[in-house]
Amino acid sequence: MSEQIDRIPFSFEIYQEGDITPVNLNVLKDYLKEKTAIRVFLRENIYEGLLKEQIEKMAQKMARIRIKEPQKGLLLKDPLKGEVAYEKERINDQAWRSFGILYEGVLYQKLLAEFPLKEKLDERYCSILITTQLIGTWDQNDHRYHLRTSIYGFPHIISIPGLVLAPAKPREFYIKRQMGLPVEILKEEYRGKFLDHEDSRMTEVIKGYIMQALFYQIMENPFCEDRDCRLFNAHWQQEMIHAQLNGKYEFCPKHESILEKIKNRTWNYPFQ
Amino acid sequence: MTKKIFTPVSEKDVTRAIVDGFAKQFIEYVESDCLIIGGGPSGLMVGRDVALKGLKTLIVERNNYIGGGFWIGGYLMNKVTVREPGQKILEELGIPYEEVTRGLYVADGPHACSKLIAAACDAGVKFANMTIFDDVILREGNRVCGAVVNWTPVQALPREITCVDPIALEAKVVVDSTGHDAFVVKKLEERGILKTSGYGAMWVEQSEDLVVEHTGEAHPGLIVTGMAVATTYGLPRMGPTFGAMLLSGRKGAQIILKAMGKN
Repeated sequence: MSEQIDRIPFSFEIYQEGDITPVNLNVLKDYLKEKTAIRVFLRENIYEGLLKEQIEKMAQKMARIRIKEPQKGLLLKDPLKGEVAYEKERINDQAWRSFGILYEGVLYQKLLAEFPLKEKLDERYCSILITTQLIGTWDQNDHRYHLRTSIYGFPHIISIPGLVLAPAKPREFYIKRQMGLPVEILKEEYRGKFLDHEDSRMTEVIKGYIMQALFYQIMENPFCEDRDCRLFNAHWQQEMIHAQLNGKYEFCPKHESILEKIKNRTWNYPFQ
Repeated sequence: MTKKIFTPVSEKDVTRAIVDGFAKQFIEYVESDCLIIGGGPSGLMVGRDVALKGLKTLIVERNNYIGGGFWIGGYLMNKVTVREPGQKILEELGIPYEEVTRGLYVADGPHACSKLIAAACDAGVKFANMTIFDDVILREGNRVCGAVVNWTPVQALPREITCVDPIALEAKVVVDSTGHDAFVVKKLEERGILKTSGYGAMWVEQSEDLVVEHTGEAHPGLIVTGMAVATTYGLPRMGPTFGAMLLSGRKGAQIILKAMGKN
């Protein structure tokens, strides 16, 4: 039993990349403490303290992992001067907000571990980056890259624009968009049915994704099949909003019970 | 006897005036501070801003008309849109506009385009229209320091009757503002000097920011602005909104001016 208790992280280490408004980190901190009794540390911007030469190297590598053609996969080649300059500018600007480049998610995670989080990652910590950038992973089923809301591992990455763009909006939204209706008008028509940039519900939604990261770290499975549980792996905005905001309960009975045990440190893996 | 409206001049005087005027300007601009390939909105914006600071600036345009796609918006409809903060440039140029929804503005295409062209002319920009980019001039370290050009019609006619060699124009800096084609960058790619990425799916919300953010020196001596930026770096395609063209042009100009110590 003590072995399993050891898998409960000593702390949440929450980093941010760029200006992550509208996420309220203090609300997240209070929630996690309340829910898990695990300590929470809100760390500085992830690139804080990187040396000039590290930024140079990281920018070079970051510029190489752009997915330009999602259907073709990652085409590794020397980056252009302008691409490296863009990455340097982005790393140096802690208030960076814009996005649109799709990065190879697994390699992105690896770069973070190699540079800004070098010697900071440890199984004892649940290290989470909340980013303003887009990440994707290759899908073996349809042989193309897909946007992701999150990638779990060391560190766990939760993408704010990913939460807006990765889960699909209602089908009619895309049909009407193809028919030429301006996105501003469609957003008004479908208001509330999907998460938008600057959405005031973002903090609430991220709570569930941080819990998925925690379950990944402890149980090696971040997801639950119950659509009402925050651990549900949503592929549609409607599913995500339901699971995170409108479910019957916050966590299904099974996961609620595990959380109770985590909180009370009465771990008895595999929770039968 | 009725007085004639116009002063009488002979045909030869008209011809001399055209040839003299063109030749004088052309000789002067065979060497310039800033040579811009492409006279669309981003190229005009670069030209206007650098010329205002005293740089000797020439815009090469393959068409007879200047302005590129700025005359019309999407689907050949002559309204152009810009998103916040692009309207600030419209204001600066004295172009009337209306707010459509929060942060989205619409202006009359002909009015916007003609005002921008006039602003470039007033700033001192000169034009070589009906002139097509053919190749780059490279110096030590493959630095771009000029362009090889020809008359546009030469490329439109069969080679047997248009065997006209091009000529070269030199400049301290060259700007590729040739739109999606990115002709200058592509020429460097043909020579194996750099590799472009083409452009991805249309995604107007993000592509405007990315175009501006990636505007800059793509290769020593070569600044890339406007839609050529999207092609060079494989950014999402732009929809029919022009704010990024204007702001990209402005950023390109700022980079040039900084490099030349004129900011």
